[in-house]
Amino acid sequence: MTDKKPDLASWVDEAAQAIGLPIAPEYRANVIVNLERALAIVQPLLAVELDDGLTPVPVFRP
Amino acid sequence: MSDPLSKAATATEIARAVSTGKVKVSAVIDAALARIEAAEPTVNAFTDIVAGRARKRAAEIDAGKHIGPLSGVPFAVKNLFDIEGLPTRAGSKINADGPRAARDGALIRKLEAAGAILLGGLNMGEYAYDFTGENIHYGPSRNPHDPGCMTGGSSGGSGAAVAAGEVPLALGSDTNGSIRVPSSLCGLFGLKPTYGRLSRAGSFPFVDAFDHLGPLARSTKDLALSFDAMQGWDPDDPVCTDRIAEPTLAGLDEGIGGLRIAVAGDYFAKGGEPECFDAVATVAKALGATKTVVLPQAAAARAAAYVITAMEGAQLHLPRLKSRPQDFDPDTRERFMAGALLPGVWYVKAQRFRRQFRAKVLKLFDEVDIVLAPATPRSAPKLGQTMMMVDGVELPVRANLGIYTQPISFIGLPVVAVPTRKPGAMPIGVQVIARPYNEAAALRVSAYLEKAGVCVSTPA
Repeated sequence: MTDKKPDLASWVDEAAQAIGLPIAPEYRANVIVNLERALAIVQPLLAVELDDGLTPVPVFRP
Repeated sequence: MSDPLSKAATATEIARAVSTGKVKVSAVIDAALARIEAAEPTVNAFTDIVAGRARKRAAEIDAGKHIGPLSGVPFAVKNLFDIEGLPTRAGSKINADGPRAARDGALIRKLEAAGAILLGGLNMGEYAYDFTGENIHYGPSRNPHDPGCMTGGSSGGSGAAVAAGEVPLALGSDTNGSIRVPSSLCGLFGLKPTYGRLSRAGSFPFVDAFDHLGPLARSTKDLALSFDAMQGWDPDDPVCTDRIAEPTLAGLDEGIGGLRIAVAGDYFAKGGEPECFDAVATVAKALGATKTVVLPQAAAARAAAYVITAMEGAQLHLPRLKSRPQDFDPDTRERFMAGALLPGVWYVKAQRFRRQFRAKVLKLFDEVDIVLAPATPRSAPKLGQTMMMVDGVELPVRANLGIYTQPISFIGLPVVAVPTRKPGAMPIGVQVIARPYNEAAALRVSAYLEKAGVCVSTPA
């Protein structure tokens, strides 16, 4: 993550428009809050470095 | 042994009383329906009751049909299971307007083939995107041990119905912790089997990558009894394993000899209230477990589980988010909407990381057979509570009740949630985690703890 904080309000507006998801004004603030939470929660994953050879498991077998 | 007509009766006790002719199944069902009627105003566990169907089956069993290991055992299912003739609500208002199920879900059919009797559908958090058991459409399920508290979710009705003694056995689903969290908060035994071990056919999905189904009960034996009845390949669920069924009941009382048991450290030893670590310590002491192991990168695993859940769930519900946003529970709607806007590279990275985490954790199982971890970071929060103090930090309840369960279901490991409770306190559970397909070991540990009186579940 860069030091510059992303503009989450613009992110919500632009991405929602791009996927054709209308977000009513009364929902918008909480969508932004949830995006902010997701951005915080995902950080430990983003910090992980993965080898190029590591592919996903096509059929997951535990 | 409990009176088979009482709320304390376990599935095993009822089946035994029925098979030995000590009680009529019709009487068992009437008693259960009476308990439901009495408890519902308090616990709000059921959304649908199928009394007519249950009484008909009871009469058939009393007449000598449908004899099996679960004969006469009343049970209920989270309302994301298809129940013939009813809409599959999945906790939503939207699905309640949908088509009625043409047949029962696969696991209902398996339990009924073993003689059990379905009594109805149970309350749940909307579309299973929930750890609280709250629901704006149907009201919250309430914790029978303190109706002012959450049951945990999303299988909240399943937790409430069993903890209240309405039924001895319920089925739930667990994507990130939705069996283990209500088991912990309601003081129950809960089994989240290995990913793919039990068929999910005829249930409403949430996140295909992580969706599991399993039982909640007040005894380990009831978990094993029902799990054994539900095992087996099902071509209707592409994820369902074709391994042969491995019955667990017969070996349940073999004890813990030969099992190497360790406590999960690092991520699983912080970020919770002291009560959750006390619970793990109590269980570890009873098992003589002194070793600590570290599941590497567990925080990243939780993050990856979160991302995959948010994105798969949002994708599944996108058409409804576009067409009927006003009919969603506000507590799920805006989380789903945010999930629809996350970058695709996060999803792919999460899936790639899943393989790495799986490999590292499986290697740990070369050294140990069982890993113990907290089930929830605290006991039941109050209903309506949105923020909670955990380890001195204020965190949202919804996103954080599952911090210890998410990394485990992320790679599909089997877990038995076992209950602990201190006098005067609310229950709190511990995860007994095993390697894939080794449910039998986790159940043996659970049975040992139950026999030792360390983990006991009594109805409220």
